[in-house]
Amino acid sequence: MTDTTRTLDLPDMVTGTRNRTRDRLLLIGGFIVVAVFAFFPIYWMLVTSVTPRDQVFSFPPRLLPATITLEYYADFFNNPALLKYLLNSFIVAGSTAVSSVAIGVYAGYSFSKFRYTGRRALMFLILSAQMFPQTLLLITLYLLFAQIGLLNSYWALILSFTSFTLPLCVWMLKGYFDTLPDELIEAAKVDGASQLTIIHRILLPIARPALISTFLFAFIRGWNDFIYALTLGGADHMTLPPGLVLTYMGEFQTSWPNLMASSLIVSLPIVVLYIFMQRYIVAGLSSGAVKG
Amino acid sequence: MSDSQIGFLLVLPALILFAVIILYPLLGSMVMAFLDKSLVFPGEEFVGLENIQRALRRDFLPLLSTTMIFTVGATVLPFLIGFAVALILNGRVIARGFWRGMFLLPWLIPSVVVSFLWMWIFNANYGVINGMLRELGLVAENINFLGSRNTAMWSVIIAKTWNTFPWITVMVLAGLQTISRDLYEAAAIDGADRLRSFWNVTVPQLRGVISTVLLLSFIWNFQHLETIYVMTTGGPSESTTTFAIGVYKAAFQARDLGEAGAIGLLWMALLSVIVIVYLRFAVREDA
Repeated sequence: MTDTTRTLDLPDMVTGTRNRTRDRLLLIGGFIVVAVFAFFPIYWMLVTSVTPRDQVFSFPPRLLPATITLEYYADFFNNPALLKYLLNSFIVAGSTAVSSVAIGVYAGYSFSKFRYTGRRALMFLILSAQMFPQTLLLITLYLLFAQIGLLNSYWALILSFTSFTLPLCVWMLKGYFDTLPDELIEAAKVDGASQLTIIHRILLPIARPALISTFLFAFIRGWNDFIYALTLGGADHMTLPPGLVLTYMGEFQTSWPNLMASSLIVSLPIVVLYIFMQRYIVAGLSSGAVKG
Repeated sequence: MSDSQIGFLLVLPALILFAVIILYPLLGSMVMAFLDKSLVFPGEEFVGLENIQRALRRDFLPLLSTTMIFTVGATVLPFLIGFAVALILNGRVIARGFWRGMFLLPWLIPSVVVSFLWMWIFNANYGVINGMLRELGLVAENINFLGSRNTAMWSVIIAKTWNTFPWITVMVLAGLQTISRDLYEAAAIDGADRLRSFWNVTVPQLRGVISTVLLLSFIWNFQHLETIYVMTTGGPSESTTTFAIGVYKAAFQARDLGEAGAIGLLWMALLSVIVIVYLRFAVREDA
């Protein structure tokens, strides 16, 4: 605040407008650059998935196909193996998310509203679990599931997915319960409500938005997982992401348009969830508990 | 029952699950560093430090340098782009809410799809980047981006960047919204231009967000597997073989759990250092 009169100087105001035009151009230019980076790949996936084969495998590629075809989408829905993977994805991601939220909600509430010895240590142990390398856990999980006969089953996938969704759920729900005032719980206690009543009758109904958001994150993480599903699921229980790798990769000539159409199909449920639940997802994401 | 007993009972299911599917597997895999053990054949033998010594002699340094290149690249590049997008979307952009939603799309897409998509974009024979480079006359012959040692790592880093920058944008945007307008006005009165108020107001105010985002990105990239595995499986000639790929291949292709455990133990030791830094930081923020 040294020299307030300076802002009133005429020459400065002129440079000010010039600067503003320059800033505006910079903003627009920057926007175009990042928008091309962010959206061209999606456009390209879409275009490839409807371009007839002879045009896909010609060089240089055309940014707009001369004719379009939906045969690759039909191929997906006519392929029983892919449909099975798709169903597996729904079963595994859904069960994982439901059970992680159900278990995580009690832990989150306890971490947030109770005080006992070891609470902080346990909390940070569970937080740090999101930072343990999945690949390392995978080796022992594989042996463990092989030993108890769970290898190549839905259980192997649900349990292994829970290893990354549970810490996420506990942490997100703890964050949510932290925002609820203690008085709410105290008042219920004064009215003679038991802890179970407090949780099920009072907290869970209030916490619905947080439960939905947590469920969505757990579902997305499970839906998107690749390496656990590839290694532990076996051909019958594998989800779509590794299923696509097995179906299309390692052929002599990868069928890119088929792969792009299938890629859009596997991305679609997530994008649809996102469109309807954007508010919840952005709030959860910016809380910082979620893996980027 | 006392309140603290109830509190403990409520965590118990999560805790048991945690012990069985996270803690035990983590420790179990590290113990294998000291065993001669196969993924498929029964039996095991204690071999002491043999596996670790062998890993240190042979695999450790190449794995470390590859992992560091990937980690630094896949942390810095998304950070710069994500930050820039946040600043742009925080400015006066038409339909700002719509764009904020749209820019999250690359983050939502499964990592496997991200890998497929960029494999196709970088494709040596029919890829769109080769097409553009050739049309513009920048190169005379197609580049085999994923098949050559010089370009494979960068191709993977770019794919990963595309996948993660939206997360950084969301985090930075949330941080930007907490900065009071007064600070910018005060800076403007002091005669600071845009650039100056960015360095003197925005950056210091976002210090917490910036450290969180950089530390977490570093930790996650240090152990990232999926994008690399699908795009290159660690090749060509090991040029994208990070710790994660090295451990996976040792365990599930060579089926040598001793070697996988030894690499894993060294990897985990390095990772713990960064995780401890982060946790100390997170505890301070939390307190």
